[in-house]
Amino acid sequence: MSKKAFAIVSNLILILFMLLILLPLCWLFVSAFKSDLAVNAWPPRFFPDKWVNTQFTYVWRILPIPVMLKNTVCFVLAVTGISLFFDSLSAYAFARMDFKGKKLLFGIILLTMMIPFQVVMIPIYLEEYKLGILNTFWGLVLPRAASAYGIFMLTSFFSGIPRSLDEAARIDGMSEFGIYFKIILPLSKPAFVTLGIFHLMNNWNDLLYPMMLTSTQEKRTLSAGLATLVGSNAIKYGPTLAATVISISPLLIVFLCGQRFFMEGISTSGMKE
Amino acid sequence: MKRNQKLAYLFITPSLLILIVFVFVPLFSAFFISLTNMDIYMNEYHWIGFENYKRMLEDSRVWNATKNTIVYTVAEVPLQIFLSLLLLFLMLGNTRFHKLLRTVFYLPYVCSMTAISIMWSMILNKNSGMVAYLLAKIGIQIPNLLATEGYAMGTVVAVSVWKNFGYTLTLLTAAALGVSSSLYEAAEIDGAGWAARFLHVTIPAIRQTILFCLVTTLITALQVFDQIYVLTQGGPLFSTETLVGYIFERGFRAAPFDVGYATSVAVYLFFLIAVLTFILRRYTTRREEEE
Repeated sequence: MSKKAFAIVSNLILILFMLLILLPLCWLFVSAFKSDLAVNAWPPRFFPDKWVNTQFTYVWRILPIPVMLKNTVCFVLAVTGISLFFDSLSAYAFARMDFKGKKLLFGIILLTMMIPFQVVMIPIYLEEYKLGILNTFWGLVLPRAASAYGIFMLTSFFSGIPRSLDEAARIDGMSEFGIYFKIILPLSKPAFVTLGIFHLMNNWNDLLYPMMLTSTQEKRTLSAGLATLVGSNAIKYGPTLAATVISISPLLIVFLCGQRFFMEGISTSGMKE
Repeated sequence: MKRNQKLAYLFITPSLLILIVFVFVPLFSAFFISLTNMDIYMNEYHWIGFENYKRMLEDSRVWNATKNTIVYTVAEVPLQIFLSLLLLFLMLGNTRFHKLLRTVFYLPYVCSMTAISIMWSMILNKNSGMVAYLLAKIGIQIPNLLATEGYAMGTVVAVSVWKNFGYTLTLLTAAALGVSSSLYEAAEIDGAGWAARFLHVTIPAIRQTILFCLVTTLITALQVFDQIYVLTQGGPLFSTETLVGYIFERGFRAAPFDVGYATSVAVYLFFLIAVLTFILRRYTTRREEEE
């Protein structure tokens, strides 16, 4: 096949796939502005005849959307922030310091990466019940405040930074914390962005975890709150569409604004393994 | 050095504490809980030995869920990898259009599985969905895909691939763009066509990344839950009930909230994942050594 023919055929296939992705997503966004009648109408129409915002106002009334949005944002930011800090502290110790039991500890931490969440899910639930932090903000944040994946990733990144830099600082009398804070952290921005995005996306979109640890609408995250809407028997399409749009829009906007970071972040995390 | 040691422990303490409290203690208690008849209210539970595991052997829903989980995994993982490789092949030219496409293909992955599943359940609805309408227009009648045995699992797989392939594609693309162009030039001089170059240069060069994708998608697939919870709730007639779905059902949704039993199923899932991952790694690394 000549170069030109290949380009034409491949672009045709690619356009097909692009439509397969974009059309459903567009449908979702425009359908959130349809009336109840239009959503269930046969034959279905792609665009609404009349654009209405009744679905959004309805969802706003039955679900505590602002509270859930606030919960999600607080939860995601707290988890991401705290875990980046804790992970990087440990990673610094593993990459730059010598201490007894280092190899063993690192091995154990790696091992925890292979434990599926479902195995510890019920014990965590019972533990939080006993600690009395079930259905609270900290109950959601604490189990995710450190991640083996993060420690592993940052350790390998820190190890790649030339040691000569911190040796020089050490001779100048800089403390370990100073080296961590003033030398290693600024040099590791890409790794932090990558890991931060990873935590951000995972936690924003997580369903089972927040659903299990929260029981009242006021403590739920968007993803979990949305699922209760589907789980209830009287499922109404219009409001569900609006709620879906509300839940995915913030992250989509962040993605489209920072897509360069996102894409780079994802690709470096894969190369590391 | 002595002072340094203390400091090092100080640095790792916060993470370690969290991991101990929320990973290790739960992991060990999981084994113990699975040996009791604990329920969610935790009143009057006691040691019952391996009774839960014996019950599991006779529980047809466990076997059914195992079968469904494996069927889902065996279909979803290869499809996702294959589709990503196909698109990677078509986008090796790395033109402007291709760069735009990579962002588009990643969009579903940014959305939550819940949202995507809700969207598809409406598009695929027999009575008001676009797909049924468009197919009816060209004379094809479809059954209610999510409520018909034999179609439901296939639909769940398709939706999962639709959402997830962007992730695999991005990883593979990053690896493929890193392949040295001299390799391609050498292949071109040898007269290798597009397909041959992809098969004999690109794929061997990114083998490590493919393996990484394979292992991570496998592990994720064996833990499938979100899309099934929204799309079918395990139905029709348990034909899409997977192990995690069953664990959730027994522990949290259906009386008598049999936590001890649900945990024993979780422990079983843990071993299943560990064994399958191990076999996959073993198999792929051995093939590598042979080459």
